[in-house]
Formats: sequence, structure tokens, C-alpha cells
Amino acid sequence: MNPAALYRVSGSIAVVILVLLPLASSEMGGVGPLVLNSYFMHLAITAFFYAILASSWSLLAGYAGQFSFGHMAFMAIGGYTSGLIGKFIRFTTAPSELCTDIPLPGNWWLVILNIRRVGTIDESCLDMAKAETLPAGTLIVFPPVWASIAMGLAMGAVFGLLVGWLVLRLRSTYLALFTIGFSEILRASISAEIPITEGQSGLELVPLFPAGILGFSSTSKIPPYYAMLFLFLFAMALMTWLAGSRFGLFVRAIREDEEAAAALGVNIVRYKVLVFVVTSTLAAAAGALQGHYIGIITPNTLIILQMSLVIAMAVIGGLENIYTASVGAIIITFVLELLRTNIEIGPLLIDMTLWRLVFFGLLLMLTLRFQRNGLLFPILERISRGGVAEETVSIRVEEEELDEEEAVADIEAEEEERAASPGNAK
Amino acid sequence: MENAAIFGWALLWILFWGALGGVVTPRIYARKDLEISQASFGGAVIGAALGPFSLVPLWLATPKITSRLIGISIALVVGIFIAAFALADPDNLCVANGGFVVSQLANGIVIGIIYGLMALGLTLIFSILGVVSFAHGEFYMIGGMVTYFMTAQWIPGVSPIVAILASCVVTFAIGYVFELIFLRPMGSGEIERPTEYAILVTFGLAFFLQYFTQALTSAVPVKAQRFFPFPRVEIPAESGALLTTTPGNVTIFDAISVPNPRFTAAVLALMMLAALLWFLYRTWVGKALRAVSQDRQAAAVTGINPNSMNTLAFSMGAMLAGLSGASLVQVFSWLPQVGIPAAARSFVIIVLGGMGSLPGAFLGGLIVGLVEAAGTGCIPDATRAAAYIPAYGMVILTLVLLLKPTGLFGREL
Amino acid sequence: MLELTANSIYKNFGGLEVLKDVSFTVEGPELIGLIGPNGAGKTTLTNILDGALKPSSGTVYMNGERIDTRPPYGVARAGLGRTFQVTRAFRRMTVLENLLIPAMAMRATARQRDFEEKAHEVLEFLTIAHLRNEYARALSGGQQKLLELGRLLMLDPQMIILDEPFAGVHPRLMEVIYRYITEINAQGKAFIIISHDMDTIFTLSRRLLVLNYGDLIADGDPEVVREDPEVKAAYLGEDE
Repeated sequence: MNPAALYRVSGSIAVVILVLLPLASSEMGGVGPLVLNSYFMHLAITAFFYAILASSWSLLAGYAGQFSFGHMAFMAIGGYTSGLIGKFIRFTTAPSELCTDIPLPGNWWLVILNIRRVGTIDESCLDMAKAETLPAGTLIVFPPVWASIAMGLAMGAVFGLLVGWLVLRLRSTYLALFTIGFSEILRASISAEIPITEGQSGLELVPLFPAGILGFSSTSKIPPYYAMLFLFLFAMALMTWLAGSRFGLFVRAIREDEEAAAALGVNIVRYKVLVFVVTSTLAAAAGALQGHYIGIITPNTLIILQMSLVIAMAVIGGLENIYTASVGAIIITFVLELLRTNIEIGPLLIDMTLWRLVFFGLLLMLTLRFQRNGLLFPILERISRGGVAEETVSIRVEEEELDEEEAVADIEAEEEERAASPGNAK
Repeated sequence: MENAAIFGWALLWILFWGALGGVVTPRIYARKDLEISQASFGGAVIGAALGPFSLVPLWLATPKITSRLIGISIALVVGIFIAAFALADPDNLCVANGGFVVSQLANGIVIGIIYGLMALGLTLIFSILGVVSFAHGEFYMIGGMVTYFMTAQWIPGVSPIVAILASCVVTFAIGYVFELIFLRPMGSGEIERPTEYAILVTFGLAFFLQYFTQALTSAVPVKAQRFFPFPRVEIPAESGALLTTTPGNVTIFDAISVPNPRFTAAVLALMMLAALLWFLYRTWVGKALRAVSQDRQAAAVTGINPNSMNTLAFSMGAMLAGLSGASLVQVFSWLPQVGIPAAARSFVIIVLGGMGSLPGAFLGGLIVGLVEAAGTGCIPDATRAAAYIPAYGMVILTLVLLLKPTGLFGREL
Repeated sequence: MLELTANSIYKNFGGLEVLKDVSFTVEGPELIGLIGPNGAGKTTLTNILDGALKPSSGTVYMNGERIDTRPPYGVARAGLGRTFQVTRAFRRMTVLENLLIPAMAMRATARQRDFEEKAHEVLEFLTIAHLRNEYARALSGGQQKLLELGRLLMLDPQMIILDEPFAGVHPRLMEVIYRYITEINAQGKAFIIISHDMDTIFTLSRRLLVLNYGDLIADGDPEVVREDPEVKAAYLGEDE
């Protein structure tokens, strides 16, 4: 079977399994002996969330070579934008007079709530309006969740554009430092602006499906499972298409050698900005969805350690491939949960809840050092190559011969050069 | 803040004209076939300084943008910023109380010295290995942890000096082993794309060390006792107008007050700095290190082994971070996560000072110390000020990276 | 008809003047050699023509359009291609992908398979067609050099600047490169070739530019330039 077909078949099988998985959940009664409890379903949702982050980061870092440490910041931008819209915006059928009213067509008003100060008993302007100015029977409607998530996405794209444009001139280490700076500024601002963001105590978000959907209760894990799975599959499809198109070709060229790519006519500005926009939009989408699913988002999601978790997932899975990065993220999410146990070795009791991340960090370093392309990538390579092609061997031999001859030529050239310009060392 | 609007508008004004100057000036200079290498940065600061009143003459006359012109403009921007702040909030302690200002400045300098020492380690690593160690904060944290556990738990009553030396040994050893296993292969070409590898692997080290310490010590904050309490002194006697010390504090001229832990930490840092300078400029190994940082190949030809210099530089850099941590564990409460803001601050400092520049790192440390002191002391809402502290440095970092990535003393990129 | 004009190019890095008032014009498919001792400013001049560096003062026009203010990709699209002194293949991409990049970059709506045939022809011409699906990093140094030349053919510029195309190249590959230059030149593309290989450059080029510490000290027929006393003093005198 040729590798492309093998990918397609195994990919389809994986998709079918993921789509059918909820049938085995305890809510649906399970399939035969296989009953997945709601904790497992929760883990699966979290795993998809990390898979989107890790794979989009691998597109940014592995394909385009932009080692950004601000990926979680974009995730948080998505979550917070969606949450803030839910907190501050309402639609009413009459002007509130006390809040900021923006008339909409069709006798509706968009009402922006006031910012309440902490520690005082300032009432919400809408609550006061309900008692005073609003006529009886006025409808007050929350913005729909899908719309606020869409705004979160848009905000992620805007910030991606801004950051992508700002970092155009910065390379490797400088880019890493800048994005850490961006992420930390955002985290500090979110922690500090308590009246708006609730600071460390976290911003609450309305549930993904407030009233439940299709007969599922509002606490059921199945609708959010499908929502996150859909986003995950959509992200993978989008990135697969991008990676295979001119976009993928150009960003990889930029990763390999920016100047050479530019000298060959590649609009490096456009593609570097674009890769930031795409990946941060995906991160923002994941953040908004996860925020509504969990119901709360805190500035702690932006700390560097969270970012390193995503990086570790992508690196251990395989940084240069969106599939290995996402599968790595899914496996690692589950493995980290499985390791929440104690291990007894003779008299030694190891609390793995504490130590699992230590081993994980060690694994990250060792992977980088000894298996640079990740632990999953060699398997993929093996499948797609199906053993070493004979052609490759013949090239190697020829190349070695050539190299020897070249070495001679090199020495000759050097001698000539020395003869040509004595004393002209730079 | 009373007239927050004044301050806000002033800030907007500065940002707007700065951005306009930065974007438009190079185009005008390019159209006139003039040198544009400084036009962006120069245009930005000149625009920020006086807005249209400086930009219009600049665009009409298009003089050569000298570092003097830039220096004057930066001074003007800072002046306008301070004036706007003073106007906006005349009752603020930073505006109304001179003694408070001087005290804040003194504290800023004192803490800045220690920041400088830590950043010096990072810049030393960068100048020799060409690598920014993202695990720098973790060495700082470990230095503090070892010192605390030595003095408070393992050997109570031991001299803090011994504890500090122990923390040096530990951080040096960790740096040494890590360099040997993970960074050494970079030099031999065994590792492809070394820059990218170095970023990720030091990041991995940070991750590992942080969770390792957390697993060993749990996440309860700890704080060491004052190392060297002051004797009680009053000069002149009785009045104490010139100098007063209590075990926990020193006050000069009745105005400048510096807490004991900070003071001793700064003195320790200055001693380390002197030792470091002596080592770099007076010993053979130090000279070899500097030679490698200037020209690797030339140094290798003269018989210096660049690989062992790499190891030495990395472990010394780690040790300097450990030292700063060891001297600051009596100032701040200590957690396994304490290294993250410290590392971020060091990044700010070395970028500000110019990557790889030793004097730049020290000066950058002082500037960041002062800015943080001003930020903490001057922002009216205390909780908000505290939350924003990590952000000040980051604002500096992003501005420097955008406007002048070479920093104050950096080499051309 | 190609026309490239460099007007009074001046470039300094801090106090170091690398190029002082360099002016020249290229008209039509000329074959020009650019020589000069190490540190003469040859590579800096290349980088300025290519848009990778901005001149401190001076302008470059190509077919009536100013190109020194454009970014490198703008210059490439205007019809100027170049190679680098150190080979810069996209190492973790296949040979075919390397060739597709410039072709795709030049046409916004094209698809990869539109160019695969042309890429194959180019690889045949350069004698490396059997390597098309190998990663570029698996190629030998000389083969990577051929790959760079192949990329330029896919870019299809009007003018090509080659920085040290013969340095450290096996004689058999040298023949291929030599043939490449003469054939492509005959097809109407101008060349500027920077080289230390005196014999080759004198037989190959029909016009020589000589740079010496930032000054353009000679410009003309190779035989005339060879006899120029200033050139002899600055450069060739030491050679013989």
C-alpha cells in the first residue's frame, strides 16, 4: 500500500472511532463491556483542546520556524474576549437609559454594561434600569455563545496580525523573548484589571450549551465533546490543506532560509504574518471553546508553565508534523492523568502527582537531545518509506566519491585563493 | 489619580507621534536618498519628544540623525512623561514628597545591582555560547532554595556565607552537567539547527528543575532570616540625623531608608561583581573566556579549548544566577515558581543593555531596578501596581526589541 | 531590453566605508565578471543590488523602476535573481520543492503540478534529475550549488548574479556550471559573476568590473582591464 493511501485510511479510521466514541460513554449506556465514564469524556475534550494548541504551534514553530512562546496568550485572548462579551453585553427591546445603548435595526438595542468597582456595592446599570427605566415586558437577551466565540476568534486573528507584524524583524531568540514579553504583559494586565476581568479569581463564562441540546442535559459531556472534536477536525483539515498548498511550501522555505526565500521572490512579510494570523486564530478558537466548556478562565492559563506543557507535547510527539504533534498531545494528556497515582518501590513511596511532571520534563530534554523529530515521527517515517529505498543507497555511494574529489578541488581552490590575494585577509 | 485624563492623553500623544515618526521618517529619508539606518528609531523618539513641532522641522530639514539628537529626544520624552504624571496627580507621594522619591531611588538602585548581577550571568552565557538560557530563573530559584534550606533546616545556625557558597557549588554543578550532556554536542555539529535546539532544551531544563524542586520542597513559600542584622547605631549620637541603623533597616539623612536584607544583598552582589571582574580581567582563564567571546576561531588557534570555555561560561552564568537568588532569599519569599519573573527580568535587562555586553547588563539592571521602584511607588492603586510589576520590564523589552534590537551597548546584529 | 543602472552607490557600516560611489550600467544580455581582492565590497554590492541591504546613499534602477527601496522579493519579481557565496539550499525540503518555490512565488494562482515538468527539464539540464525526491541536505556541496542555479532558472529572471559559482566545485560540475552560464546567457539573460578563479573569469566574461576597497577602479573589456596599471597594482600585480 502506498503511504498516501495508508495515511488516508488510518486517518479515516481514527476519525470514525473518535466520532463513534461517545456511544461507549456511560450516558449512552456503553458498548458491551466498554463503558467510558464522564471523567474519561472530560479528558478526551481536554485532549482535543491541547491537540489543537500543540498542532497549531507546530505549524508556527515546526513548519514556519517561528518559535513563539505567546501561543497561550492567543488562547487566552479567545477565551477572555468571549467571556467579556458574555459579561458586558446584552440585547434589549428597549433602551436602558442608564447603560451605554447602541440602537440596532428592528427595534433592538445593544447594551454595554458598566464596569462595577470591586469592594463597593455598585449595582449593575441594567439591574437598576430594570427597576426604573425599562418598560415592563422588555426582553433582555444574552449574546449567543456562538457569536461571542466568533468574536473571540476575530480578536485572536487581530492580535495575531498585530504580533506577526511587530515580530517581522525578530529572529529566533529575540522572537522567543518578545513573545514571552507579550504573554507576560497580557497576564499582568488581566490579573490587574480586576473590575473587568475578575483578576486571579477568574472570569466566568456561560456554558457552551446553556439549555442543553437535542435532549442532552446541560451538564452532559457529549455535546461539548462533539463541539471540541469538530473544532479539532476542522483545524486539522485546515492545516493539512495549508501545509500542502503554496502556503506550506513558502513557510517551510522561510524556516530554512529567509533571505534565500526572499531572493527567490517569496513575499516573506505576507507569509510570516499570515502564519501568525492562522495559528493564533486557531488557538483563540480552542481557548474560547474550552473556556465555555470549563465555565471559567483565569490568568494562570497564560503562565509560562502552561506554554511549556504545549511545547513539550508538540516536541515529544514530533514538532515538524501537525499530526504527530496532535497525537502526541492526546497521548500525553491521558498519560499525565494516568500517572496521578502513587508508586511503591520497596520502602520508597513516590507520589506521582508530584513527580510525573519531573519525568515529563526529563523526557522533553532527552527527546530533544536524542530523538529530535519526536518520538512518534520515526514510526511515521518508517511507514511512509517502507524500508530504505535502494536509490538512496546508490546516491550515498556516489556522493561519497564526489565528496572525496571535491575535497581535492577544495584544497586546490583554497591554494589558488591564497595565491591570488596574499595578505588580504578580512 | 485625580486627572487621569491628562496623563492618558499625554501618553496617547507620545505614542501617536512616536509611531508616526517611526513609520514616516525612513520613507522621507529614503526619498531624499539619505541614510536610513537610524531613521526609524530616530524618527520615533524625535516624534515622541515634541510631536509635530519636532517632526515637521525634521522632515523639512532632514538633518543627519546623530546619537546626540536621539539622546536629547529620549531625555525630553522621559521629562514630558514625568511632567504629565506630576500634573495629573499632584498629591502623589512621588510628586509631593522628595524624601520618598529619594528613598525609592535608593531602593531601586540597590535592587538593580542584584538584578544586574543575575543578568550578568545570562549575558556571559550568551557572549560565549550564543545561547539565551531560558533556565536562568531556575538557577536563581535553586540558589535561594539551597541557601534557605542550609540556614533554616539542614544545619541551623550555619553561617550564611557557607550557605551561599553551597548554593554556588550546587548551581555550578547543575550548569556543568547540563552543558556537558545537552549543549556540548552543539559545538561539534552533531545537533542540527542549534539556536532552535538551545531555546527548547534550556526551556526543558527550566520545566524540569522547577517541578523537581516543587516535588522536593512542596509549594509552601519560605523566607530566610536576615543574614547580617545591623548593629544599632546613631550618627551623630541621639539625633541620628546623618545615619541611623536598626537591625532591620538603615536610614541616611533621615530620608533615605533601605531595609537591611536589600542592603546586605546589594553589598554581597557588589563583592561578587568585583570578584567576577577580577576573574575576567586578571586571570588567564578569564582572559581566555573573553577571547572566545570576541573571536572563537582565533581563540581556538591560540590553544584555548572553546568547548571547555563553553562549559565554564555556562556553569559560571548559572552560578551567578544562583548567587543572586542566594542573596535575595532573605528579601522575598521563595517558591519554586519564583524564578519565572526573575528570568523574565533578566531577559529585559540583557536586551536593554545589548545582548552579550557585560557593562550593558549591569546598567540595564540599574535601569530596570529604578523603573520597577518608580512603578511600585508611584502608581496610586497598590494592588493594581503590584499586579503590573512584571509588566513594566516587559514593556521595556518589547519597546527595545521593536525600536533598537541591539540595545544600549549591543553589537550590530 | 534589460537595463540596470547603479548610481553612485555608497555604503558604510559605522565608520567602515565598504562602497564608495560605485556607478555602472548593464544593457542587454551582457556577461560581466566582478572581481576584486577580499574585502573589496563585492558581496556588499550584490546584496545592495538584490535589495537585501539598503545603500547608505545612491540608487539602483532596473528597466526604469527604482529597486533599491524594494525588499528582496520585490527585486526578485522585478527580474533579478542571485545565488549566495555560501550555498543556501532549503535543506529540509526536497530538491523538487526547492525548485517549485520560485516558480510558485512568481505566479499567484499557479499550482505545483503546473511546474513539475519544467522542474524536471531544469534538473535534467543540470544533471541532477535522479535526485529530485531527495532532501536537499542529502546532496553534496556541488550538487547543492547546481540546485541553486536550478532555482534561478525556475525564477526566470532577466539578470542573474552568481556569487563565487566555481569555488570548491569538482571539475566535472564546473563544466556543467560553465555550460549553464553560456547557454542561459545566449538565451538573453544578463550575468554578473563574482569569482576568484581568474582564468575562468577572463575567458568567460566579456566585460570586467574591478572593485578595490570600495572603489570601482576599472570597467571594460577583460583584455583592456588586464593591462590597466591601477588594476595591476591593486590586484593582479600580486597575482603574478
